[in-house]
Amino acid sequence: MTSNGWLQIAFFFLLLLLAAKPLGLYMARVYERKKTWLDPVLGPVERLLYRITGINPDTEMRWTEYGAAMLIFSCATLLLSYAIQRLQGVIPIVRLNPQHLAGVEPYLAWNTAVSFTTNTNWQSYVPESTMSYLSQMTALATHNFWSAATGMALAIAFIRGISRRESKTLGNFWVDLTRGTLWVLLPICIVSSLALVSQGVVQNFKPYDTAKLVEPQTVTAPGADGKPVTTTVTTQTIAQGPTASQEAIKELGTNGGGFFNANSAHPFENPTPLTNLIEMLSMFLIPAAFCVTLGRMVGSPGHGWAVFAAMSVLWFAGVATCYWAEAQPNPLLHGVDQRVVQMGAAPSPGGNMEGKEVRFGVANSALWATVATDTSTGAVNSMHDSYMPLGGMVPLVNMMMGEVIFGGVGSGMYGMLILVIVTVFIAGLMVGRTPEYLGKKVQAYEVQLSMLYVLIFPLIILGFAAVSVLAPSFGTSSLANHGPHGLSEILYAYTSAAANNGSAFAGLNANTHWYNATLGITMLTGRFLMIIPMLAVAGSLATKKIAPTSVGTFPVNSTLFTVLLTSVILIVGALTFFPALSLGPILEHLLLRAGTSFS
Amino acid sequence: MLDLIILTVSLVFFVIAVAYVYACQSLKGGGDNA
Repeated sequence: MTSNGWLQIAFFFLLLLLAAKPLGLYMARVYERKKTWLDPVLGPVERLLYRITGINPDTEMRWTEYGAAMLIFSCATLLLSYAIQRLQGVIPIVRLNPQHLAGVEPYLAWNTAVSFTTNTNWQSYVPESTMSYLSQMTALATHNFWSAATGMALAIAFIRGISRRESKTLGNFWVDLTRGTLWVLLPICIVSSLALVSQGVVQNFKPYDTAKLVEPQTVTAPGADGKPVTTTVTTQTIAQGPTASQEAIKELGTNGGGFFNANSAHPFENPTPLTNLIEMLSMFLIPAAFCVTLGRMVGSPGHGWAVFAAMSVLWFAGVATCYWAEAQPNPLLHGVDQRVVQMGAAPSPGGNMEGKEVRFGVANSALWATVATDTSTGAVNSMHDSYMPLGGMVPLVNMMMGEVIFGGVGSGMYGMLILVIVTVFIAGLMVGRTPEYLGKKVQAYEVQLSMLYVLIFPLIILGFAAVSVLAPSFGTSSLANHGPHGLSEILYAYTSAAANNGSAFAGLNANTHWYNATLGITMLTGRFLMIIPMLAVAGSLATKKIAPTSVGTFPVNSTLFTVLLTSVILIVGALTFFPALSLGPILEHLLLRAGTSFS
Repeated sequence: MLDLIILTVSLVFFVIAVAYVYACQSLKGGGDNA
């Protein structure tokens, strides 16, 4: 580890702190339908959209109506994405399919449609050879906006549930969706896209380029009859496309689906350290701002900052562990290998550079991996499969904690608020009083549904992972590595899907019927079957009176609250998965120290 | 044919999800939120 690396991490956090408050206050104004400086431009667009769709923006919805509207919207957009992918080969717009790519096959199209609808962006496909520009823009990038705006709307609904008194409604889903897209996501994305283009991120509709290799390569691969065939490769295809516009929302909406297969390790997606910083900030920006929005809308700014502090502590623990693990030399590399890249000397700080881009180095790779898995983004600028066992465990644990360390846009906030309910309940048990959260009594119904939310998550991950591990024909046959590393690969895939993260550990071929189907089900369950109990809690809280503060009220803006909340997240999230982790990355770490690796 | 099966499965999931909304609603007992 170097002081330069730590300074860059500190600089990133400082920028986040500076940006969170103004954006959070702005978002509160947007969702409270107060005046903003963008109203003269966006107001007419909003009114036009309501007129076309026949929506009355003043109609309020109960939580059941809000949930049903969200489900209908998600179902409709899922089917639209599926149809576009299936039909991309016959849609006669050559400019948007210059490589003449055929329609995506059904299982893969469904998996991808589910993936983008649920804000997961798990990619079982290779974008360059699977998706036309039309599909990238209309089936995938649009979902990056919609799924992000949906998550934000749901978080706002939950916050209204806390702040409203004796109300049966939580707002209007269609209004929240529209305003989140127009006022928050679009303006930031336009600025961010232009910044990325200025740094070299491509934005075009050109056919792929072909470059002649300076040094021809000899490649041996199995031929049609299974026998090895040796060929000499003299050219390289360089993919193009409308990347910057997709890259901006990919990070801002914590989506993470790469325009290219290498995701943000690709120089056309993330060419410079500055784009790397912009993209990392984009991931944390809205989830961090949501803490300020929470404080503002519930009338307790201190509570918002207390939640922010809990998120920050867990983020720092993750990045420190990951950076430390990746800055170590691999103990199995000896002699010349170790002297060259592992031990570190000027000008290289050393560490585990396998799977990492030289332009980012260890510190910015570890920071990115932590940020992208704290949030539900799942984008990668280095390959997690190549991390040291404990370094790779950090992204896994981040996701296992339920994506509440800043988390997905909106989903991180409502996930955290469910854990706040659990925390307040535990605090109430400790002192023997009826738990209250900002003056709202937390009773059996809220706790039951909060626990339902908490328990669905490990159930789907561990259930499908267990079946996959026990099935050599369709489960372990997809693995590139055996032993504990193989378990980590399977566990990572289902955790990533359930947490709607979408990052891949690599090493697992997930483009099979089993993995496409079960990961699809995991993504749907991890999104919608967790949202519904959350909305039910919000709906129930909204109906309650707000009790005046008394000496028995547990303060939710104190350091004690932050400590208790952090402990609850660790206990509920991490310990649930500790047995699985001990058989995966922890065992692999110990065996690596003893001189064993798994290929 | 496979398209139809996949579309049906998707729709069934969302119908189950809507039913789940009302199941969560019905969990609420009387007198809890006085």
